[in-house]
Amino acid sequence: MSDVISKNDLLRLVDQWLAEGKRVIGPVKMGDGVILYAPVAVSGQLVLDGFVHPANSIKEAVFPRSETIYTYTFNGQEIELSDVEPDCTECIVIGARPCDAASLPILDHLFNWDYQDKFYNARRAATTVVTLACTEYDDDCFCTSVGLGPAANQGSDAMLSSAPDGAHGTCVFEVRALTDKGQALFGGKTGGKTSAAEIKVPISDGPAKKFDTVDIETFLKNNYESEAWRDITMRCLGCGACAYNCPTCHCFDIVDEGDAAGGRRVKNWDSCQFGQFTVHASGHNPRAVQAQRQRQRIQHKFRIYPEKFGAILCTGCGTCTRNCPVGLGVLNTLEAIAAIARASIEVK
Amino acid sequence: MIDQLRQTCKKLLEEGAVQVVIGYGQDKPSMMPHPVFITKPEDTDRLVWNDLCFANLAAYVTRKEIKALGKPAVIVKGCDERALVVLEQESQFTRDGIYVIGMACDSLPASGMGNPRAAKCASCAVRTPRYADVTIGEAAVGSSAVGSSSCSTADTEFADLDEFMKKTPAERLAYWKVELSRCVKCYACREVCPMCYCNRCLVDKNRPTAIDTSATIKGNLAWHIARAFHQAGRCVGCDECTRACPAGINLRLLNQSLAKAAERAFAYKAGMDKETPPVIGSYSLEDKESFIE
Repeated sequence: MSDVISKNDLLRLVDQWLAEGKRVIGPVKMGDGVILYAPVAVSGQLVLDGFVHPANSIKEAVFPRSETIYTYTFNGQEIELSDVEPDCTECIVIGARPCDAASLPILDHLFNWDYQDKFYNARRAATTVVTLACTEYDDDCFCTSVGLGPAANQGSDAMLSSAPDGAHGTCVFEVRALTDKGQALFGGKTGGKTSAAEIKVPISDGPAKKFDTVDIETFLKNNYESEAWRDITMRCLGCGACAYNCPTCHCFDIVDEGDAAGGRRVKNWDSCQFGQFTVHASGHNPRAVQAQRQRQRIQHKFRIYPEKFGAILCTGCGTCTRNCPVGLGVLNTLEAIAAIARASIEVK
Repeated sequence: MIDQLRQTCKKLLEEGAVQVVIGYGQDKPSMMPHPVFITKPEDTDRLVWNDLCFANLAAYVTRKEIKALGKPAVIVKGCDERALVVLEQESQFTRDGIYVIGMACDSLPASGMGNPRAAKCASCAVRTPRYADVTIGEAAVGSSAVGSSSCSTADTEFADLDEFMKKTPAERLAYWKVELSRCVKCYACREVCPMCYCNRCLVDKNRPTAIDTSATIKGNLAWHIARAFHQAGRCVGCDECTRACPAGINLRLLNQSLAKAAERAFAYKAGMDKETPPVIGSYSLEDKESFIE
């Protein structure tokens, strides 16, 4: 027997969370048809099926694009600093893809390494992630190549799996609470939010494995100066469409914004693909060309982060590849690398 | 068509007339055609040509990594070529420093992947490039744009804009606030744009900061207004910014507003005619001053 909730009951539950003042984030169709994870005002805005992956990730729930970390006011020669309290509004991410949920435990390492980021941690503690297991995938999905899959439960507090409901011709969800937070939302069999039923949840195998991360890591260790970087990434134009929509990219810049009276210090997303990302005050830029910036992105995800934290900084969601205006992204880069790696093994 | 294209490029590389061909490739059948840089004659078989070749390759001719490869042959559609015209007028390259391969869109092969043509294609007036060193593909009989450098515009060109302008200013501002709230400042719009070739963009200036870098409503409005202003009389309407935006923001509307203003006030259409001086870079006693009140 499974815990089951109908789609209608699930949407009613979402409206209840909203009425309780909780922030709810889920896939929403925007005016022009693009689907993005975004805050919802009513449950009817949620889009739970009929697409593979939103064009962005859920990271904004814990790591907003722009966050004030303190404010300052000028008072004659004096400067007064004021703390800004972290946002602890209870947040529920619903309909997250497993590849997005999996990014949160990966990000936890970074934001609690040499410095404990209280803003990230406050949001993380206040966030509950309700994942929807994948039934579809496209050519850009590669979760299975990085150790995840269509029902991977890393980072999820509860997982929903959709099953056709023969009796009503609509959809029901199997609910699996994976943590106390998830349990609290759905309340289990006795909480009254779900009912027990015998249902059959179709299991998807997910996309076929597209590369071996060991091949990739070996290549990255031995080919730092390879011309392959230039050849593979030549078409990269240096925008941040990949990094900003990536569930695991976490670089930020600290800037002051204000006027003569005062202002705020802000933590804003930044991207290693921007030419200015590594410019020194002297004017020297250690990553002077785009190939070096692309190399950094791939090295960071598949060698540096795993060496430091034991986790690959990529969940195979394919968002970078889908968003890349010139059809690059991590998947196409890694497939090109894997082909070179395989060819060199065959030569030996 | 594709054979002719590949043969042309192969010959150019073999003869050393160019060192690199900037064209379209498709590493996997499932993917959209993407820019490729062919430097060896034997690699010209990688070139593809179909109705999903959207990227405006003119964006690459000003980039230092590409310039380092030597003299390029660049493959352009009629709309992309307009960008080359503006870039040349703005002294971003000398015409004999690049070889232009024009592709006629009237005989565009279907990719079979569906959804061909962008919004811009419906009212296109330049289906055949006009200034290319070689043009591949046949122009359809009666095609209005063959060899034309006129300013004539299909009635439908500004249809979306005209509809939008029926809203009140307050409604339009409300629309942009909602749309631009999705902008995360990834700057894909800037990077794909052939006209955005500044070494250091206004938004990257931080000593002092000119525009808030935060992706807040204030920062986003400032960025998009600044971007649009810098495109006035220069944007050729290739719509690459709109295609590239991950958040699906319809920047085409902003661009069209500027294009229409240039057309109505100065009878100018960027990149249509090499001989017409750029509206921003020229002064005429005939210029209307009606906007000064």
